[in-house]
Amino acid sequence: MKHLLQQISRSGKFVAGFSIFATILLIVLIYPLVVPDPPLEIIGQGTFFEPGIYVNVYDSISAPHYTLNLDEAAEQRIASRFKAEDREAMRGWLVGSGMPESEIDIANTAQLLDQWFANFDPTTRLPGMTNADRNYYIRLNNSIQGLLSTEAAVIAQMNAETAVLEETGTVPQTAYVNVNQVANVRVLPLGTDNFGRDVLTQLVRATGVSLQIGFVAGIIATVIGLALGLVSGYVGGLVDDVIMFITNLFIVIPSFVLLILISFSIGQEQRGAITIAVVIGFTSWVWTARAVRSQVISLRNRDHVNLSKLSGHSIAHIIIRDILPYIASYVIMALILQISSGILAEAGLSILGLGPKTTDVPTLGLMMNWAMIYQAHILGKWWAYFPIIVTIALIAFSMNLMNTGLDQVFNPALRD
Amino acid sequence: MKHKNRLFFVLLGVLLALALTLGACGSTPTEEEEPADVAVPAEEEAAPAEEEAAPVEEAAPAEEEAAPAEEEAAPAEEEAAPVEEEAAPVEETAADPNSLPRNETLYFNGQQWGSVVGWNPYSNSNNNAMAIAQQDNARVTMFETPYLYNMLDGQMYPLLADGAFAWNDARTEITFSINPAAHWNDGTPVTAEDVAYTWATHVKYNTPTAAGNIDYIENVVAVDAQTVLVQAKLNDEGAAVNPLIVEAFLSSNYVIQKAWTETLEARAGGDATALMADPAEDAAFSGPYYKYFADDTKVVMIRDDNYWGQDASMWGKLPVPKYLAHTIFKDNAAGTTALQAGEVDVSQQFNSNVQDLWLQDGLPISTYLPDAPYGIGASLPTAFFNLQSPGLDQLAVRKAIAMAVDYPTIIANAMTDQSATFDQVPRSLMNPTPGEQALYDQTAVADLQWVGNDIEGAKALLDEAGIVDSDGDGWREYNGEKLSYVATCPNGWSDWQAAIEVVAAAGAEIGIEITTNYPEWAVYQTVVTKSDAPLPEGYDIFMMWSDGAGPTQPWGRIRKLLSSEFIGMASNWNGNWGQYANADADALIQAIPNETDPAVLQEMYTELVRIYLSDIPSFTLMYRPQSFHTVNESVWTNFPYEGDGTNPPVPPLDLTDGWSIAGLYNLELVNP
Repeated sequence: MKHLLQQISRSGKFVAGFSIFATILLIVLIYPLVVPDPPLEIIGQGTFFEPGIYVNVYDSISAPHYTLNLDEAAEQRIASRFKAEDREAMRGWLVGSGMPESEIDIANTAQLLDQWFANFDPTTRLPGMTNADRNYYIRLNNSIQGLLSTEAAVIAQMNAETAVLEETGTVPQTAYVNVNQVANVRVLPLGTDNFGRDVLTQLVRATGVSLQIGFVAGIIATVIGLALGLVSGYVGGLVDDVIMFITNLFIVIPSFVLLILISFSIGQEQRGAITIAVVIGFTSWVWTARAVRSQVISLRNRDHVNLSKLSGHSIAHIIIRDILPYIASYVIMALILQISSGILAEAGLSILGLGPKTTDVPTLGLMMNWAMIYQAHILGKWWAYFPIIVTIALIAFSMNLMNTGLDQVFNPALRD
Repeated sequence: MKHKNRLFFVLLGVLLALALTLGACGSTPTEEEEPADVAVPAEEEAAPAEEEAAPVEEAAPAEEEAAPAEEEAAPAEEEAAPVEEEAAPVEETAADPNSLPRNETLYFNGQQWGSVVGWNPYSNSNNNAMAIAQQDNARVTMFETPYLYNMLDGQMYPLLADGAFAWNDARTEITFSINPAAHWNDGTPVTAEDVAYTWATHVKYNTPTAAGNIDYIENVVAVDAQTVLVQAKLNDEGAAVNPLIVEAFLSSNYVIQKAWTETLEARAGGDATALMADPAEDAAFSGPYYKYFADDTKVVMIRDDNYWGQDASMWGKLPVPKYLAHTIFKDNAAGTTALQAGEVDVSQQFNSNVQDLWLQDGLPISTYLPDAPYGIGASLPTAFFNLQSPGLDQLAVRKAIAMAVDYPTIIANAMTDQSATFDQVPRSLMNPTPGEQALYDQTAVADLQWVGNDIEGAKALLDEAGIVDSDGDGWREYNGEKLSYVATCPNGWSDWQAAIEVVAAAGAEIGIEITTNYPEWAVYQTVVTKSDAPLPEGYDIFMMWSDGAGPTQPWGRIRKLLSSEFIGMASNWNGNWGQYANADADALIQAIPNETDPAVLQEMYTELVRIYLSDIPSFTLMYRPQSFHTVNESVWTNFPYEGDGTNPPVPPLDLTDGWSIAGLYNLELVNP
């Protein structure tokens, strides 16, 4: 056993795969301890908030303020609200309304704004101007109001009795808060999804659920495949014919189609994560059964098996003691592949809307499904789908690496 | 022996395969039956982003295969003949439907899902969204109604009719005359006889139109060649049963040519089923567009340059685009992509986060309103309570759930802000249009309103009613039974699903277990529309639509939300799906159509809102536009927008429905 582990640990591929997998597993286990929020809680009012650090505005007013005199502050403030293309568009409008182009200097912000405010009229429709353009100019006009102001912003509170606003303080343009001192700051490393849920928290939980689904599906598939393969290969004859007949039948029917049909007929009400895992397991045992059978057939005429037979051992005893150990390494590798394909099958089903029902638990496939329904991929909301694809890819990749690594160790033909 | 074995196994295998196939198909028996039930094409469009929803599945018969080939030949042979004869003049050589000249074609999305079944104005299962939709805002691209309804000002404007219609003093008959300029595509004039014969045919063959109106309309008579008399059915007191529906008939039902109808009847041999199943490729029409091409990838209509509406008494010119084209997209995502690419000019589909298209992508795309809610809300997607579910018969439970729901989140997340909020438009039975809002007294029912997300209030209400958690499991009990419900809506209707999720979340906050379930539409619709039996388990809180804007509104919507007349029907596509019965509400609903005094009407409407808000048989989750109306101005411009200066205002209904067709005459090319 020790020797075996040593051998395995010398396989670079296996170690790489295993470390990726272990990291994912660790994150799945540890993250909920650090961030205990329920993964399906709707926190964002609105869809697809960008990844970032969200600082509570109300709290930052009452947090201690510091004055920092930074040179570029005013410039950056203006640049963020008034971009180069806005200046260009402004020139277009002014020229269209009859102002000579030579009088306009788009680099001179103050002059440009003066000209703009003196001339802009939202009701004017220049030739060739669409309603979309008109809306744009109105938005632009609103967004640059008070752009060059150097006054402090006034904070006022409504007096409950007189209903008059009373000034309670001002915020000068040089005021800063230290994020650490603001009472409420929420980091959303992967933003929110279409429901306003924290994507990272959900992703971690979904990875856990998907791994569970993969394990359950993989184990069921491997157990069924192994049992049928062993019996069919060792007993042979009519039993072999019957089992292989059924197996071939399942090979002919594409298992994913079968999976879709079964999931559909179960109905969404009954489709929990584990039900889906079981369904996946019961439709993907076929190749394991065939492969195990052929291995067993080659084993069953070996001397030690014949000896065992002569000694009068029962079939079960022979299969478990004399055959199983010889194919154990193969079975482990098959199991790994089954787990990985179980995770992929769940994702595939859920993308089609046939996965587990939405409210109970998140899964990787369900997250993809909702991101697609709300067109995250079209609107460029990468954080709602890309991390999920990466996670699925990493899990499948790490498992395939482990599988190849083991293959190198166990398969004499591949041994270095 | 060996051979016999093999044979046995082969047989066994075939049997097993058959069994598997049958087993897998067995659970969806309703799917095949569906087309017969789809009697509500109008709602389908008003309904949410239900991509693959109902309309697609309407049985598409085999004649489609033959259609495109036939049709390509058609425009050529219909050479520019003068009046008389078959004359739809197409002067220039017809364009290839697969490469239409871009600056003569107006492209749509979100209307047509799946391929067209037919062009038969007597049938309502044509699945032909570009040409046929007889509804409150009837689609008048090919067939025309006497009047056009304008949802923005609530007025009816003459189309085939000449001038306004007139009630007689007893309000039992409507008279209107047909515009003498109106003629069919074959050049023959549209006459009063056509109008009368259309109604007679509907009645004779018991079409869906007849079924919906026969209780209210006695007869339609041609007084002379131009004058039409619509006689209302009278009640025992000698007054019209429902003058509102009689009036609405004028703007929601097509006039169909008598001569062509007779051809159709002869072809159908007097059989109603055959008459309605006829694809009617040869139908005579009076509208500005007709079929040019249709297959399973697109539908194209071409302008009839002989259209009567260019007469000075109507539009005075032809509509601007020569072709109306609708590519059949797989789903909303495909439609949005095409809209972004400028391959679609007018989009009637739910584009989530539509503002990103111009704010972030900088595309020349705009909606009717520049800011949220981007469109004019017209219908009220509503969560119905199954009033027979244990506990939901208790007002306190219903009200607590309605109070706890976080409506701002539904509107911001599920609808991506494409709905007015309940702060802006307090809940009532009215849609957010100013006309309807003015019909009831907001202040009189202000104390009945709830704001939503009021967890403490909801809890207090339940505690007060004695509905508490007595066994300490975290869930409240009523009569010793745990309050546990299933909230549901059709699968794939994404914004509704998202809304139902929020409703379910509210339950957990107040100690009422609400789980969600999304059956397929085919199953959902058969369950929900069966009102002659209590709803089965799993349908405790469920979403359906309400009427949008139309000439009978808000009365029609209120009736469909509250009237007990819809209980006990084998197939109820009307409303009141939660099976609510209140005699006072019924009496008011009965009385309103015959009431003409605005002050009394306001009182009655206010009373109905009061009943609705105190009994809470259902609660509105969001407002929704009649049609989504997002336009891309890469090629065409001058689409309707709020304050565009049109008078009467052109409503944002995709330039095809009711008065919005007027928008087709205002379009301009961005780069002429």
